[in-house]
Amino acid sequence: MSTLRTVIEAHRLIICVGAGGVGKTTVAASLALQAARLGRKVLVLTIDPARRLANSLGLSRFGNEPVRIEHPELRGELWAMMLDPHQTFHDLIERVSPDSTTAQRIFHNRVFVAIADSIAGSQDYMATEMLYDVVTSGRYDLVVLDTPPAKNALDFLDAPGRLARFTDQRIMKWFLAPYEEPRGFGRLLMGTSAVVFRLLGHIFGREFLGELSEFFQAFRDLYDGFRERSEAVIALFSDPDTRFIVVTAPTASGVETARFFLGELRARGMPCAGVAVNQRHLVGEEPPDAEQVLGPLAASLAGDLAPHTAEALVARLGAADRRLRELSALEARRLQVVRQAMSPGQEMWQARRQLREVHDVEALLVVGAQLLGP
Amino acid sequence: MPLSDLLDAQLVLVTGKGGTGKSTVAAAIGRRSAQAGRRTLVVEVDAVQSAMPGLLGRTPEFRPRPVGPRLAVANVTWVEALEDWLDRAIHVQRIARLILRNNLVRLFLDATPGVREIVVLSRIVAWCDEFDQVVVDMPASGHAVAYLEVPWVALRLLKTGPIHDEAERLVRRFADPGTRPLIVALPEEMVVNETLELRGQLAEKAPALAPPAVLLNQASMPSLSDDERILLERLAEAVDDDGPAAELVTAGLWEAELEAATARALARIEGAGLPVVAVPRVGALGGFGGGAEAVVLQLARALSREARAEDDAGGGR
Repeated sequence: MSTLRTVIEAHRLIICVGAGGVGKTTVAASLALQAARLGRKVLVLTIDPARRLANSLGLSRFGNEPVRIEHPELRGELWAMMLDPHQTFHDLIERVSPDSTTAQRIFHNRVFVAIADSIAGSQDYMATEMLYDVVTSGRYDLVVLDTPPAKNALDFLDAPGRLARFTDQRIMKWFLAPYEEPRGFGRLLMGTSAVVFRLLGHIFGREFLGELSEFFQAFRDLYDGFRERSEAVIALFSDPDTRFIVVTAPTASGVETARFFLGELRARGMPCAGVAVNQRHLVGEEPPDAEQVLGPLAASLAGDLAPHTAEALVARLGAADRRLRELSALEARRLQVVRQAMSPGQEMWQARRQLREVHDVEALLVVGAQLLGP
Repeated sequence: MPLSDLLDAQLVLVTGKGGTGKSTVAAAIGRRSAQAGRRTLVVEVDAVQSAMPGLLGRTPEFRPRPVGPRLAVANVTWVEALEDWLDRAIHVQRIARLILRNNLVRLFLDATPGVREIVVLSRIVAWCDEFDQVVVDMPASGHAVAYLEVPWVALRLLKTGPIHDEAERLVRRFADPGTRPLIVALPEEMVVNETLELRGQLAEKAPALAPPAVLLNQASMPSLSDDERILLERLAEAVDDDGPAAELVTAGLWEAELEAATARALARIEGAGLPVVAVPRVGALGGFGGGAEAVVLQLARALSREARAEDDAGGGR
């Protein structure tokens, strides 16, 4: 059995996955903060978090530069970085390009310009790209990754292979073949290739097809670089020093996604330490009698207020508490379903729903302390 | 806001930050329209994990399947959408169609930016001819923009051909007043931030689309008097951190905070010039345990109530 403390003390990479809106960023930042409290040198890597959380961590702007977060409780170091997917894509192409002419050809291609901003899922891919760099740099004892909100839960796990597939040699060879004929495109096309080309020309228009093929041609030279990278990232996902943590809120949809992730991680052989439950509503064992517990105190504090304020409020608090208890019981039932989907050795950790939204270091420390437990 | 206009729109594009209840709201709008007598389709966009079995009681397939009187559900998976588009838009011989279904050609089409979005959107828009209303459960915020902007990107890149023509048809449909984007939000600061950012992105990337309306889901309407609020604060100061008294006060503070957060969210969204309708929380905190399908029914009723109240207010003026 592993406590969450040993998980953050013993590993080099922690990847937080889960549905959107469950507090992945909060959990990732809290765990990073706790690891830095325990003396480790930690980087939390996040993608477009809520602005106030970013501000509270000192990340007022985008950019691929780590920023150090200072706090008296930190024995180690905490660094945070907010990913700029566009810049990362740019850097990646420069790095895998055999020469600067190839890179420039890609940057000026209209197809590239169109997809660089909008290629769906590129955030996921860029996150894995950046991840590889920071983990292998040796600058940090631990990297905590807050995965980007994905359209589909699996986008992130499948991201490393995507660009490599995009530049698959088979497409390249087949598609570029006519361009490598000495007499050029459209001259002496034979057989299937010719029919296919006429059809694609019909669908896309000849002009665009030319540009598209130029784009593929430029990318062809990058294929080996992409493939090596994606293989390295996939290896990183299953490394013994890596742990996934499934983050969830005790909501119906959050719990559903958490179960799904537990299954997918298991199927892919990716090591998952357990489930971190955020925003949990917790109550005491016995329902309190509002009048008995608060009646006299409320009356003594309401002397200057409108008549019956104390009675009315105490009754309301009783009702509010009953609603809270119903919610808490419903959450417990939902989490029971998640427990059933967990493997032996996996744990569940919980942090309470905070009264106010979590967007400063103090609040993150509270969440982290609750997750780690006594 | 003109909620009934929005609810009656022919094509409703529902998006918003993950976890806000997009799918539930899409299902509820569809349910309400069907109850009001319109043939309605609720459609998911290439969903790997459909939310509809829990919400409407059936796992959607590519073709619309009924889930009640006048109500159908579908999930536009992209491979089927491509086949379907080739059949509808490309008038070629069977042999050519077979070639286009070749695995390598498929791989190429998958790798070509924009094809996926165009064929999926094309299928959805084509259903507008068969149904009185199509409610689309779009991907979350940024991913929805990445989808909706594709027709404009395609028009910049392609001058002729079936994809160009399809993009033109999509832009025309998006520009039609019968197409209405709806952002689902929650009374939480981060969610409101993302909602306002999303409005800006849509205006920039999908310029012909009507400005979005906002549905503030899980809203808590004010219920405490000023004096009750003052007393609650005094109690919070006076009780210990743990124990039954703390639990009661925390329950009260928690509900008071939800009310305050709702007021802040409404002020910010209205302040940004977006039409907004608040729909009260119908889930567990209101003491509700009937499951997702029941939440959809209740949300559908709440939407009808809001729309009627609005009509009455409008008629009185």
